[in-house]
Amino acid sequence: MADKKIRDFYTTRRKILKGMLGAAGAGALGCMLVPFGTIKAPSGKKGRQKIAKGDRLVYAVGPNAGKEIKVSDLAINKGTLAFPKGKEEHNNLILLFRAKESEFQKPTKINYTVDGFCAYSAICTHMGCTVEWYPEKQFSFDFPHLFCPCHQSVFDVFHGAKVLAGPAPRPLPQLPLMISGGVIAAAGDFDGPIGPQPGGK
Amino acid sequence: MVYEWLNERLDLDRFKKKYLTKVFPVHSTYFFGEIALFSFVILILTGIYLLFSYTPSSRLVEVGGKKLPAAYHSILLINSQPLGVIIRYVHHWAAHIMIAALILHMIRVYFSGTFKKPREINWLVGMVLFTLAILAGFTGYSLPFDVLSVVATGIGYEIANSIPYIGPAIAKFVFAGQFPSPGSVPRLYMYHVVLLPLLLMVTIGLHMLVMVKQKHSQPYQNKDIAKSGKILGIPLYPQQLSLMMFVFFFTLSVLFFLASFLPVHNVEYFGPPTLQTPMVKPDWYLLWIYGIIKLIPGNWVIPLGSSASISPEVIGGILLPGVIMTIIALVPFMYKEKEPLNYWEPASLRPIGTSAGVAFIIMFIALSVTGYQAELNIPITVCRVYTIALPIIAFFITYFIIRKKREV
Ligand code: HEM
Ligand code: FES
Repeated sequence: MADKKIRDFYTTRRKILKGMLGAAGAGALGCMLVPFGTIKAPSGKKGRQKIAKGDRLVYAVGPNAGKEIKVSDLAINKGTLAFPKGKEEHNNLILLFRAKESEFQKPTKINYTVDGFCAYSAICTHMGCTVEWYPEKQFSFDFPHLFCPCHQSVFDVFHGAKVLAGPAPRPLPQLPLMISGGVIAAAGDFDGPIGPQPGGK
Repeated sequence: MVYEWLNERLDLDRFKKKYLTKVFPVHSTYFFGEIALFSFVILILTGIYLLFSYTPSSRLVEVGGKKLPAAYHSILLINSQPLGVIIRYVHHWAAHIMIAALILHMIRVYFSGTFKKPREINWLVGMVLFTLAILAGFTGYSLPFDVLSVVATGIGYEIANSIPYIGPAIAKFVFAGQFPSPGSVPRLYMYHVVLLPLLLMVTIGLHMLVMVKQKHSQPYQNKDIAKSGKILGIPLYPQQLSLMMFVFFFTLSVLFFLASFLPVHNVEYFGPPTLQTPMVKPDWYLLWIYGIIKLIPGNWVIPLGSSASISPEVIGGILLPGVIMTIIALVPFMYKEKEPLNYWEPASLRPIGTSAGVAFIIMFIALSVTGYQAELNIPITVCRVYTIALPIIAFFITYFIIRKKREV
């Protein structure tokens, strides 16, 4: 009888000790994890400044980078990457090209094009790679198109950058253009959200 | 002399008797695991060399009138050291060889049935190891910070970012802000040189510990020769050790050979990050996920209320690879064994398992070929059909071959 009492006494003490050890361990682990939750990420290339009417376009790459794009610079079938002047943020990257004005069909916004010039966001809506201008045949596409090198999405430039092939979920947003003083300028902001949307929105 | 002195104090004789006589069964496929292990050792040694000169920063530095990211510039400096470029290529090649050896090692374990009781633990530990090795490869790829690094890592960021609800928070936490933020390279560097190597070392240690405790499985021919419960093989010292040293030096020399003749990740050729995106393909061991991403139609969206949805990127980049890896991890639990299995089991005794194994291998190959679908000019619908059809065909062919053999 007395034996059992003593045993019970010690096993309860042991249980309490184990419980306390568990609590202390959990507390210590929590204390070590909490600091990680408080880490603040430095801000990167987040948002972008909206493109406004009259923002002139400049070359984004190549030897002329930063120079304004004159109407006479681009012959038919030529294309280039461009930025709105003064707003050279990654998400403002534009793909500007020139084709015959008569080739543009709906859902391209024809009033967004001018003199055969047309511009789309250059940021692929799939995972944000930069699309390229292919005026000629590539793979099985034998007409001018925009092509994303990452997962080979193909966009139909004459039909509002509709997705012809590849995994891109949405067409590229279009940028309204105008000509001011012989150079190409934007006539407003893109007509849709740029690039992939976080959280699968 | 020295031995005597140490032995008197540390009782080395006991250690010698207990461990150096540990018996290793002999079979050429046992070397896959060892090659993986030795590649890891070589990765650490060459990695330490690279750490002496590498700068983990994407800040632009002015070099001869050009602005280059500091990390990229430091790789150029490594390349200009007399042996720098060779050590870099050995490091990169060792990463490939390690992952290839891990895959062969897994295939051997799978088809010899030794994942069964009592070795389920080591199958799971092995899956963790494999995942860590792939993460190490992914983070290492980002470090040179050339145009390929930035595109590939950016895609990783976007896949994480597209997870519904929690994705943006996870992506910002893992990549220290929106990639490439000033914090991204230091963060990826920390994963690559501290966190992942540490985790890998702990996991490898666990893998070895469990293996030593459970003893090796052995080829089934040994069953007839050795008494049950005994291992037929060679002792660790000196026979096994000399074999291992041979494998180590052989791996090292093959790596130097590859590094000398087949440059990998030539940063001078790719160039620093630009606004344009080059034609990128992930490393071969991620090509199957790339294939899945290409196969999933852009309109496969699972809506989740008004503010979020499961996008095709999440289905192709996370959900399906996750399901495939989980199925592989759960393999040992699909069998109910009463007796522990200590000898290899002929693959034909598990007709369904073996056929499914062949089907999975065919599926991985088919998905990887799909990665080159545009270059090979195969319509994507054809890819969708063969990715589903070929594994099924492979399953039935294997199954019927096994049945035929058993009838004979
Ligand atoms: C499983 C282990 C590892 C894998 C799979 C791996 C893989 C890679 C890869 C693919 C690169 C890119 C190399 C290039 O082409 O430039 C790289 C770079 C690098 N790794 Fe590792 N690595 C591993 C372990 C380590 C360890 C343990 C260290 C250091 C102790 C290390 C240090 C570095 C450094 C400093 C770089 C940047 C230099 C460079 O890119 O050449 N790595 N790693
Ligand atoms: S990022 Fe353009 S197709 Fe994937």
